[in-house]
Amino acid sequence: MAEIATGKMHKSIDLKYQPGFSQIAWFCIVVLYAPIAVLVLFSFNQNRSVTVWTEFSFDWYLKAAQNEGIQHAAWVSLEVAFIAMVVSTILATMAALVTTRTSPYRGLNVAVTVINQPLMVPEVVTAVATLIFFAIIKQATGVSGIGYLIAAHTAFCIPFAYMPIRARLEDMDLSLEQAAADLYAPPFKVFRRVTLPLMLPGIMAGAMLAFIVSLDDVIITLFVAGPGETTLPLYILGQIRRGVTPEINAVSTVFLLISVVLVTLIFFFGTDKNKREQ
Amino acid sequence: MKQKLLTTITAMCLTFAMGSVQAAGELHIYNWGNYTNPDLIKKFEAKHGVKVTIDSYDSNETMLAKVEQGGSGYDVVVPGDYMIAIMIKKGLLEKVQPNKMSNFKNIDPKWIDVYWDEGRNYTIPYQWGTTNFTVDKTVYNGDINTLALLFDPPAELKGRINMLKDMNDVINAGLRYLGYPRCNSNKAQLKELNTMLVKAKANWRTMDYSVIEKLTSKDVDLSQSWNGAAKRARKDRPELVYAYPKEGFTGWMDNVAVLKGAPNLENAKLFMNFMMTPEAAALTSNFANYANGIMGSESMMNADLTAAPEIVMPASAPAPEFVPPCAQEVTDLYSKIWTNLNK
Repeated sequence: MAEIATGKMHKSIDLKYQPGFSQIAWFCIVVLYAPIAVLVLFSFNQNRSVTVWTEFSFDWYLKAAQNEGIQHAAWVSLEVAFIAMVVSTILATMAALVTTRTSPYRGLNVAVTVINQPLMVPEVVTAVATLIFFAIIKQATGVSGIGYLIAAHTAFCIPFAYMPIRARLEDMDLSLEQAAADLYAPPFKVFRRVTLPLMLPGIMAGAMLAFIVSLDDVIITLFVAGPGETTLPLYILGQIRRGVTPEINAVSTVFLLISVVLVTLIFFFGTDKNKREQ
Repeated sequence: MKQKLLTTITAMCLTFAMGSVQAAGELHIYNWGNYTNPDLIKKFEAKHGVKVTIDSYDSNETMLAKVEQGGSGYDVVVPGDYMIAIMIKKGLLEKVQPNKMSNFKNIDPKWIDVYWDEGRNYTIPYQWGTTNFTVDKTVYNGDINTLALLFDPPAELKGRINMLKDMNDVINAGLRYLGYPRCNSNKAQLKELNTMLVKAKANWRTMDYSVIEKLTSKDVDLSQSWNGAAKRARKDRPELVYAYPKEGFTGWMDNVAVLKGAPNLENAKLFMNFMMTPEAAALTSNFANYANGIMGSESMMNADLTAAPEIVMPASAPAPEFVPPCAQEVTDLYSKIWTNLNK
């Protein structure tokens, strides 16, 4: 793609030089980010309105930090996201290995489709299905707890973790692993010393993607979460009927910051090494 | 290493799961967001040695969806009046008989024989309020206690009105203005209502839930509103006055209820009895800014609350009307009018 754009195509056909390109691009960026900018701006507003500006203050951040409900919800969010990230990344790594590091077998395409299918199913369908499924298990076993929420998050995080790991593996030439095997390295050693280090950037990117997806999830969490398991997005949602205060803007801004940092890290993990190799 | 990690994680998950099975002396409350006073909970925890968790929902329907499947793990919920009626019918609530509890004497008698729980065998009042509208007196200084301001507004208010984006609130107000009964399936009357609403809509600026923002940003000068929101808007715009139209208006009440199969039934009963004390009711009102229906709580309520005309109704106002859920046939007709109105 890059080659086509810069090399073979004539300058005048290049999209970047079409009239109106930068205007349209700026328009799109403003449409996408203006609401978020407003949200961030009003998190620093001194009065309780989320529309009328008075003066700059950090009051709402202090208030949010002292709010026990928010603290508890933040802790639940991080706990669930962390465990879901670790488990789903391990599973996704295994899945990525068996769908790329073997000679093609019957059912390979089906396996890949099945792994990615959750991305296509509307979230509310998964949510209701999970709710009913867990309700049956809970009634049959009498066991309750945050384990259900973690299991649900792990499940929907797998395809997100799987994608970058698989993309990384597909980019990696088999020749290094074959060379290691030629030199009598046993399969596990090949994996430890050659495959794993090479695929690590993909695993990191997958893990962080899984973390963010879990941290941001609303619908499935809304249906699955049990007592004491309110996550931050659920807490924010619960405020809506009683009126949103800039406290929520402050919390959202912090969340936004975490997401931006992680997305930036994913970007660096995903691209850095590729470039160096080339 | 991976093996070890996996074992650790499995163990962790199990610990979480086990933790909540074994624990005794707990109470799990599922309430509207930002509606439970943390001080109230601390007081209850200290008094009875019970550990309380609070989770929140954003609508009666979300709560119902989750509770209906069973095994939600919650003990206490706080649904609105019509939702209580539905939940009792579906057999989702435990008949805990608050009317036999020691603090039941504190409930204002007018809140005992209510349509959703006649005689209070299942529930007690939590907070209640009204749905009316609030007007800027400097913009319009005539008589505000009439629904004509919404449906046939004077020149000053034309194009300066926000209505709630709520089918029942708009349609019921319309029916009262025309003098027709609620839960109405009379086609001729509904036709008239439809024509009237479409005509009135030309004078409305917006139909939106964000009442406080609309009013305080001076986007509109009149807004249909819940009384609590009207009070909060008045804080930023003191010219606002809450109307009690002579044609009548809707009341709502959220109620404390105990779920059937509650894991901590005895603690839930303790909580219910506790919530009928004037101290607890006052704490809730001071936090949520609505009236509570428990006698003797006024003296402990914040002064700005007891002095607020939005919360304490003037004696001249008609009694609020609680509208039960209408038959499906009626709801379908209403939906048609509503869809047409929102086109």
